[in-house]
Amino acid sequence: MDLQIRNLLKTFNGFVALDRINLTVGDGEFVCLLGPSGCGKTTLLRIVAGLLPYDSGELLMGGRDLGGVPARDRGFGIVFQSYSLFPNMTVAENIGYGMKIRHAPRERIAARVAELLDLIKLPQVADRHPWQLSGGQQQRVALARALAVDPSLILLDEPLSALDARVRADLRTEIRDVQRRLGIPTIMVTHDQEEALVLADKVVCMNHGLIEQVGTPQDLYLRPRTRFVADFMGSSNLLPTGWVREAMPHLMPSRPDGAEAAFDACVRPERVSVTPAPGAEGRVIDLTFLGNIRRLRLAWRGRELLAETHQDPGVAPGEAVDVSVAADACAWVRA
Amino acid sequence: MTMPATPSAIPLNRSPARRARSSADERLLYGACVLVPVAALLLFFLFPLATIVWRSLVEEAGGVGPGNYLALFRTPGILRAVTNSLAVGLATTAVCLVLGFMVAYAVQRTRMPGKRFVSAALSLPLLAPSLVLGLGLIFLLGRNGLVSNLLGTRINIYGFSGLLIANVLYALPQAVLIIQAALRHSDARYYDAAEVMGATRWQQFTGITLPNVKFGLLSAGFVVFTVTITDFGNAVTIGGDFTVLATEIYNQVTGQMKFGIGAAVGILLLLPTGVAVYIERVAAQRQFGTGSESALPPVPDHVPARDVPLFLATMALALSIVAVVATVVFASFVRLWPYRLDLTTKHYAITLSGGYEPLWTSLGVSVAAAGIGTALLFALAFGLRRLPAAVAKTVYLLAVLPVGVPGLVLGLSYIFAFNLAGSPLHVLYGSALLLALCNFYHYHTQGFLTMVTGMRAVPPALEEAATCLGGGAVRVLGDVVVPVMVPTLLSVFFFLFMRSMVTLSAVIFLVTPSVTLGAVSVMRLDEAGFVSQAAAFSTCIMAVVAAAALAMRGAVTLATRRTVS
Repeated sequence: MDLQIRNLLKTFNGFVALDRINLTVGDGEFVCLLGPSGCGKTTLLRIVAGLLPYDSGELLMGGRDLGGVPARDRGFGIVFQSYSLFPNMTVAENIGYGMKIRHAPRERIAARVAELLDLIKLPQVADRHPWQLSGGQQQRVALARALAVDPSLILLDEPLSALDARVRADLRTEIRDVQRRLGIPTIMVTHDQEEALVLADKVVCMNHGLIEQVGTPQDLYLRPRTRFVADFMGSSNLLPTGWVREAMPHLMPSRPDGAEAAFDACVRPERVSVTPAPGAEGRVIDLTFLGNIRRLRLAWRGRELLAETHQDPGVAPGEAVDVSVAADACAWVRA
Repeated sequence: MTMPATPSAIPLNRSPARRARSSADERLLYGACVLVPVAALLLFFLFPLATIVWRSLVEEAGGVGPGNYLALFRTPGILRAVTNSLAVGLATTAVCLVLGFMVAYAVQRTRMPGKRFVSAALSLPLLAPSLVLGLGLIFLLGRNGLVSNLLGTRINIYGFSGLLIANVLYALPQAVLIIQAALRHSDARYYDAAEVMGATRWQQFTGITLPNVKFGLLSAGFVVFTVTITDFGNAVTIGGDFTVLATEIYNQVTGQMKFGIGAAVGILLLLPTGVAVYIERVAAQRQFGTGSESALPPVPDHVPARDVPLFLATMALALSIVAVVATVVFASFVRLWPYRLDLTTKHYAITLSGGYEPLWTSLGVSVAAAGIGTALLFALAFGLRRLPAAVAKTVYLLAVLPVGVPGLVLGLSYIFAFNLAGSPLHVLYGSALLLALCNFYHYHTQGFLTMVTGMRAVPPALEEAATCLGGGAVRVLGDVVVPVMVPTLLSVFFFLFMRSMVTLSAVIFLVTPSVTLGAVSVMRLDEAGFVSQAAAFSTCIMAVVAAAALAMRGAVTLATRRTVS
């Protein structure tokens, strides 16, 4: 089943939190809502869950209007940042809770709980209480609880934000695996662009209650359409048209028509190549070693540029370098 | 990772019609949760209060005007009572703040031994009616007291000095609790930073500790002042000829039947407490703004030059509180205090009409007040979260209003509101139920705030998780809210129970010869000169309350262990 969001408008006391949002989540699709805090991504997720009302627009699940359906009748699964396991219930009771509410027979609940505990690779914790588990384990149980009722949609509200870096990476892969296997459409809210790149089939980049761009992770990284997206998804050199015309005229042919100030060129740092050349016009300002890559700040033709290389560029700060950018290395973004 | 067997979809078989009905049911539930407690608040708090305001304006001749207030200033003794009340109130506040800060600091910020004993000793006055302290002081320092007898001189404890000591002993525990909470709110990192910057201990104390408890001290000061000028029990036992407003209002009403003037004095008492409560609430909000969630509590180190003197002073204070209360208990078993110290249980045969009947009435009334109160407060705190913000704010304000009304004024207002012949509410007058309700509304605010704080600790994500899994309002209530709230429910219940067992000021106007309470009996026995029997009766009340306090501790420990999170 697919979820369709049409012209969704949400205001809080006159403040527009979501400005006529249109979005489709296809069957089996993993969609990430990405954006800085306050961009409306969590509001959108809570509206889909039925935890918040909305002002106008439509919310259709498999063609059926969700407008009058309260959260508890939507049959979705949800996982919050703050684990939110019921402290007074054991792990098994937590996972089986949704089935108990639906009056499923006890044996069926037990079988399903065992099955899910296997799925999350925690078969031995059934009788423990939430406080006896680590954060990562609690979050896996929360995921199992959401899956237990065979939800038609899974909602993940920054599920990894409270975890350590290592656990976060592990659980990230696990969520991805489980979602692929079960094929349940999923919406996840995150402010971590790396998480979105790794997990999503489709990334929805949001800012100030508006969708800036929707696309695959590759689309958003390689072909950002707005300055905000270029800036939010990794680092980039954003170059005004006037400067590009003077300094890099070979990039101009790909520029869409429009006013001088309407578009900027976005060049990712790894597409800026640097070669040592005594007497050249480029100058290295400084050099940062980041393990697998090296980051250089350069002064070139009156601007500061950012470049990244995998090999040792063989230069030291203050030395002269030649700078070049391939003609296809630039995406023009709306300023 | 193994793939689960074919997902077995479990449909939610809910037709739109059934869904509509269940959401209507829920609205009804939330509505009832707010409406019933609010209606009760209006009927048993706001309505009596409005009545007393009205009655203070109805003149004896029948017209409406400021006559009662003008008559007040011509009534002999009233101005005296006002100045006396202010003097004893201010003195008690000053002493309580100094001693209270000392004790709170010693317990919270030093490594002195015996902290548990100090805390236990300080909770003793909370277990007893206030007049027990007056009684104990008379046994020790009175005309026929132990000290007078030993020294062979006659100390006059009745009056200002006696009342001051009794009030300090009575109000000190409450001051200590507030200041201690303020001291607990600090962050060790402030001190670490100051230490690194080279501040001395004294500089840290004056630069960090004192400014941080500023609002705590302010708040404690107002609480002590309010409690003192509206307390009835101590004033009547040890005040002697030193009349204060609380005793004056009682004389005007029950002695001289001047209801209009009584009402006017009541309104007069409402003013300072109202101002105090308002400032205290503003201060409390400011205090909360400073604490951050990730604060690390400061860990005290051992400083002999500070800890030893503090230990001696705190111990002396704790021991004197224990001495006063223990004297009452001991005196109740002695044949003739302080002349014939052989032990006897004869004072436990209460000769006043009714015997121990009032104690059982007190128990019943207290259980009722606690039961009704806990249920109503829980419903209110639960329903409040579903209300639109503007409405919720109004209801909240109404719910915290009772703290500004002294028990004495509330009790008096109940007479005006419920002792009206012909009114359908008259059936309640003189009943134990009305006493229970009066006690509940007297302590409504503290119970309400505890309940709201407990309700805030219920993680919204838990409720949302239960809702998304298909749980309705009743399920959310039973599976999420109540389990998390059990410790809070228990502590509100026992708080209301214990206050209701020992309070005197509100119910003193409402008791009738047939329905009277334990604390009132102690006062009557003392007035009638049966001091040893008064001590015996007090001991029984203290035993019941202490047992309840222990039961509460056990129950809360058990409940928190079961739902540790």
